[in-house]
Amino acid sequence: MTHYQAVAQNKRRSSLIIVLFIAFISGASYIMAEGMGYSLSIVGWALVVSGLISFFSYWYSDKIILGISGAREAKRDEFFDFYTVAENIAMSQRMPKPRLYVIKDTAMNAFATGRDPEHAVVCATTGLLKRLNRSEIEGVVAHELSHVKNYDIRLMSIVTILVGLVALLSDWFLRMTRWGGGRKKSNDGDSQIQMILFVVGLVLAILSPLIAQLIQLAISRRREFLADISGVAMTKNPEGLIKALEKISQDKEPLEAANKATAHLYISNPLKNTHGGVGMFAKMFRTHPPLKERVSALKQL
Amino acid sequence: MYIPFIIVAAVIIIYVISIYNDLQKLKTQIVASIQEIGNQLKRQASLIPNLQATVKGYLKHESSIFKMLTDARKAAEKAEQTGSSKDIDDAITQIQQAVPKLTIAVEDNPEMKADKSVAKFMNELTDTADKLMYARRSVIDLSQTYNQKLVIFPSNMIANMFGFKPEKGLATALTGSHVEVSTAETKDVKVEF
Repeated sequence: MTHYQAVAQNKRRSSLIIVLFIAFISGASYIMAEGMGYSLSIVGWALVVSGLISFFSYWYSDKIILGISGAREAKRDEFFDFYTVAENIAMSQRMPKPRLYVIKDTAMNAFATGRDPEHAVVCATTGLLKRLNRSEIEGVVAHELSHVKNYDIRLMSIVTILVGLVALLSDWFLRMTRWGGGRKKSNDGDSQIQMILFVVGLVLAILSPLIAQLIQLAISRRREFLADISGVAMTKNPEGLIKALEKISQDKEPLEAANKATAHLYISNPLKNTHGGVGMFAKMFRTHPPLKERVSALKQL
Repeated sequence: MYIPFIIVAAVIIIYVISIYNDLQKLKTQIVASIQEIGNQLKRQASLIPNLQATVKGYLKHESSIFKMLTDARKAAEKAEQTGSSKDIDDAITQIQQAVPKLTIAVEDNPEMKADKSVAKFMNELTDTADKLMYARRSVIDLSQTYNQKLVIFPSNMIANMFGFKPEKGLATALTGSHVEVSTAETKDVKVEF
């Protein structure tokens, strides 16, 4: 896949996710309204609200995600290597220098976010910046900047916020059904349909976080390999990224600032202790390919 | 009847315009990245005297490092004035040789290592060397893209039509020891214990 194909695909998928999100919210609210006997005007409201949410998540994704992660801006004097390395790679790629942020945490990790290269943010933990040397930081920053260049950041940020929201909504829905809805008590035929729709709604509510999670994973795993390769094409120094990934893989500390919704943004999975499973199931739910596979892919270059 | 011909002609004209603009854009980008090299050389030349002043007290016995730094500054100044690619190459090589030597000297000297301003200048110098390297790579990459369009079909027809000339990029000799592999180098390395 070339850079242009990756960009086109990411833009297409970003729009698709927004459309799916709006369709899902409207569909779910329709089922909810039918199944629980609320008025159908709720669907209209759901459309408006989900449209607004999509717009805000597209426009303010970087701010929302930085806010969730508790990041602050990186100053040139304080994080000299991080700052100048980002400046250099951005210069050589003829793209604007991204805004740089740090998370104060001893775990080693980094991510990029924003809606396009002009509004991009690269964020690293202080633990990563302290324990990696300049050429290793260069490898990590180049990896993040190729996420920026390929428009992975737009797709991933939209997915973070919208998919996170679906999980949240279905959670609410589950709680509402427990209390029991249905103000409209009519004849038997109607209540049968109501019952079916109620069950469908329930299944959807249980499944939706799962579906959402799967979308999220399918999107991010291949991208990590691609970003590794194109990052190395920027620095022409595979050793830097290999050493960085090896150091990161030895770091067993989970990142407190990350959660399930933001996990796929990071260069390596920040939720180490929660993903201990084995076999197909564990593989399906991983946000990142194992670091070992990534290192061996890089060593073949 | 004529409509298909008009469509084909329009497509061709749009293609010609887009290739022409691509080539012109690349040419301005190449000029800009060569100017960036000059900019960084200037930064390097002004950084070195400051660094020398800070480390002078510590490096009384290391006159060779001092000389290397002075040479690197002179080379940078010369390259900035002449702008010839050989001088630029020279300046970059000199600074890339001086920085590791200086780093070792700093590591060996605990007093110097603790000095914040020495560390700061060292960082800036390393960064300038990196920036020069990246600026030079931009010139190489851009020239490659540009020159490729000049030789591959069909963009070469358009380039010929408007008389685009190949860009030299950074002049590096295409022959010489750096592109040759001797038979000794192809053999497996034996390590004996």
